[in-house]
Amino acid sequence: MPDLVFDDVSITYRTAAARGRGDIAAVRNVSLSLPAGGTLGIAGESGSGKSTLAMSALRLLPDNAVIDGQVRVGDRSVAELSFGELRALRWSEVAIVFQGAMHSLNPVRTVGQQIIEALELHVKDGWRTAEARKARLAELMNQVDLPIAKAAAYPHELSGGQKQRIMIAMALACEPDIIVADEPTTALDVIVQGQILEVVKDLVTRRGISLLMISHDLSVLATACERIAVMRNGELVEVGESQQVCTEPREAYTKQLADAFPTIGDPASRLKPVTRRTESVVTGSIDAIGAADASAPVHEPTKGGAGATDEVLLEARNLSVTFRSRGKTVRAVRGVDLSCRRGEIVALVGQSGSGKTTLARTLLGLEAPDHGGQVLFRGKPLGRSTKRLREFRRQVQLILQDPSAALNPKLSVYESVAEGLRIQRFPGDERERVAVSLENAELTPPEHYFEAIPHELSGGQRQRVVIAGALAMTPQMLIADEPVASLDASARGEILALMLRLRDELGLSALVITHDLGLAWNIADTVAVMYHGEIVERGATETVLLDPQHEYTKKLLAAAPKIVGREGVLAAAQ
Amino acid sequence: MTDTITPVNAEVHDEKLAEESPTRSSFLSYFGTKLGGALISLVMVVLLGFFAFRVLPGDPVRRIAQERPMSPEQIAELRRQYGLDKPVTQQFLDYLVNIFTGNLGESYVYRTPVSELIGQYLGPTLLLTGTSAIIAIALGLWLGQRAAWRNGSLFDKIATGTSLTLWSVPTFWLALILLMIFGGTLRWFPTGGMVSPGVEPGTFAYVVDVARHMVLPVVTMVAVVFAQYLMVMRASLLEEKSSDYLTTARAKGLRDDLVRRRHAVPNALLPTVTLVFMHIGGLVAGAVTVETVFSWPGLGKLTYEAISGPDMPLLQGTFVVFSTIIIVMNLIADLIYRQLDPRVRRA
Repeated sequence: MPDLVFDDVSITYRTAAARGRGDIAAVRNVSLSLPAGGTLGIAGESGSGKSTLAMSALRLLPDNAVIDGQVRVGDRSVAELSFGELRALRWSEVAIVFQGAMHSLNPVRTVGQQIIEALELHVKDGWRTAEARKARLAELMNQVDLPIAKAAAYPHELSGGQKQRIMIAMALACEPDIIVADEPTTALDVIVQGQILEVVKDLVTRRGISLLMISHDLSVLATACERIAVMRNGELVEVGESQQVCTEPREAYTKQLADAFPTIGDPASRLKPVTRRTESVVTGSIDAIGAADASAPVHEPTKGGAGATDEVLLEARNLSVTFRSRGKTVRAVRGVDLSCRRGEIVALVGQSGSGKTTLARTLLGLEAPDHGGQVLFRGKPLGRSTKRLREFRRQVQLILQDPSAALNPKLSVYESVAEGLRIQRFPGDERERVAVSLENAELTPPEHYFEAIPHELSGGQRQRVVIAGALAMTPQMLIADEPVASLDASARGEILALMLRLRDELGLSALVITHDLGLAWNIADTVAVMYHGEIVERGATETVLLDPQHEYTKKLLAAAPKIVGREGVLAAAQ
Repeated sequence: MTDTITPVNAEVHDEKLAEESPTRSSFLSYFGTKLGGALISLVMVVLLGFFAFRVLPGDPVRRIAQERPMSPEQIAELRRQYGLDKPVTQQFLDYLVNIFTGNLGESYVYRTPVSELIGQYLGPTLLLTGTSAIIAIALGLWLGQRAAWRNGSLFDKIATGTSLTLWSVPTFWLALILLMIFGGTLRWFPTGGMVSPGVEPGTFAYVVDVARHMVLPVVTMVAVVFAQYLMVMRASLLEEKSSDYLTTARAKGLRDDLVRRRHAVPNALLPTVTLVFMHIGGLVAGAVTVETVFSWPGLGKLTYEAISGPDMPLLQGTFVVFSTIIIVMNLIADLIYRQLDPRVRRA
């Protein structure tokens, strides 16, 4: 069994100088090794170079990437292999589990064909004939816990979790020695993520395959890997045993990364998401972190329930939504009662397909509820007339998951924010209102951002622009659908902190839809858990998350990957 | 290792329960919908066919009367014969009845039933445009995928540049140039018509003769249209080139040309197919210029003659035939697309 060794690897992307970007160093002098049978995780935010590094193991980088240093599989340097040798190395010795939930499978071929293709390319004794390959396919499907009938399915007929299982089966097909898993659970919800991690872990331990796993989420890596390397801006920040990296990080950046995904039950992260401000103060020593924490916006945990007033702003009574298409009826939302008071942040938690987004759309008046259900805004039923709805939609603003898709790439920040004002025929000084909104969304000085187009902003800044656009309408409530799911760890903390600040300073209510229980722990006053269209549990965040009553809530909590050592420290402290 | 891990063992297997096997029996309803749409288009074409040509300037009877001296009585008699003395609504009703009984009327100029004329001229047109279409599509798609795969290479630049230049050349001009060089100066190919006089139909010599007659018109048509196929294929493949599943295919150890042939091209073909078939319909209609220049005895030439008439029944007839071909082609495109793309197959 070969080791995978990165020896002083630097990777530079050559881009046309005319475009003004020149050479981009994606990876700088990284040395890492994955011993045979070992498991290594690489953590980092997007742009940290972790994927680039992993793809270099199979020379899968685009032509403009220049690699310095050596990537070795066993005693062979990958860069020196001929194309024939490289093709033989690919998949039969080193296989990759791509992010299968996205577009890593060919949409016009059945998944079975795609697995068999790998077997045909690397014929080994186990599968010399077509029948033997079929048998091998059945064996692989069995290993990842999928019925063999699914092999005849096309990728679009499978759920995200099933596609990810297919990716794993495909990686295992030719009995590789090393598996590289690139964000194998991103875009999956907690419960499916738990199942996939279980499959990966099980296969690695049982077959002694070496695993190199890449993720932005330290807790996922802690679940599956013995050692973790943290990367940032192409450089290696820290390498060590999983538990040490997660619980006693040597570098401040690692701690920040670990804290971005809070431990539920940890009072330090309750109503206090980690922000980047920590980063600017920290000089590198552990002591400085305490000081930085103190400078971060402080929200007393006790303020949680007290922040909300008694006035009910938005209320759903016995709300059901049924979709009918081609003879099938789907009851997406069933008899939901939900209320959001002024100044309250409600987290609506559930896995994908639980009906949370449909519920949000109905609350916004975008979807008509079934007969007998009602949406009330400030005690009055929501009318269906255009005029009433327009007024209502000014008061309740929607924030979507992906700010890059929600913003028109051709409009400047100013235009994006002002657009809503023009639709609502805002009578006052448009420019002033836009400036105030941007300031409220912490984009200061606002004039600096007026002419910027989304392309020039970071993910976190784009989400701030979306929020500013909502704030410009002086709403009383925000409905946010997975507001931070597509953002990096540090941006995530900032946006959550912003939402808390808006609640405290402007008295804004919010309904946050999420699959992430950590997020609820970070900012929500109240949590409602949704399952199969019904709200199965509702109450104050501490009550629901620390003392769950419903079976499903318990499952969600159990499935969330966590760093056990950290909880141990916590318990000791209490 | 174990102490850093919480066993994650959720028994909720929702994703498995929510599945059922896809039904393939929806083909009939899909086919029905598409066929219904095609029929509606056809009806619209038939309606349009009547009114569009009533708006054309020029009075066919006066045109005929110009050629030989006719008395007012004779002109009135001619009008009565053609049914042009009746009110427009009555003419329209007659037209509808005739269309649905397969009677397209009688040509003013040829004095024979339009359906007979069309039957006579349809074969040569299908032969000419069919051959051109097959060559143009094969050439365009092949060059397009090559050019896209090696985007920015010399091959890409030459293929794209040449095809675009030819595309922008006016058809009649190119046809005339070819006719002058290869038909006139070099005398390699005949300058017009489909068969030389005196050649026995059904013999091998006949086939060779027709083929020789076809060369110049086919070259003209291919040269002018293959750029469309090339550009569509090229753009479509360029889009697929950055797809993640191609990285997967490469990581599996597939040779570069297999990655292209097995994974990239089938996906790139999806948007291409629809456009290709829509263009074929246009190609048939576009045969008018080429057939006229090369005196090819096809529908295009017939249409050209009918316009100069104006021979209204004949015009209406060719108009309906051309439109039907385009509608049928679009229907075929829909059906093929369904076969190629499993995602549509299920919808």
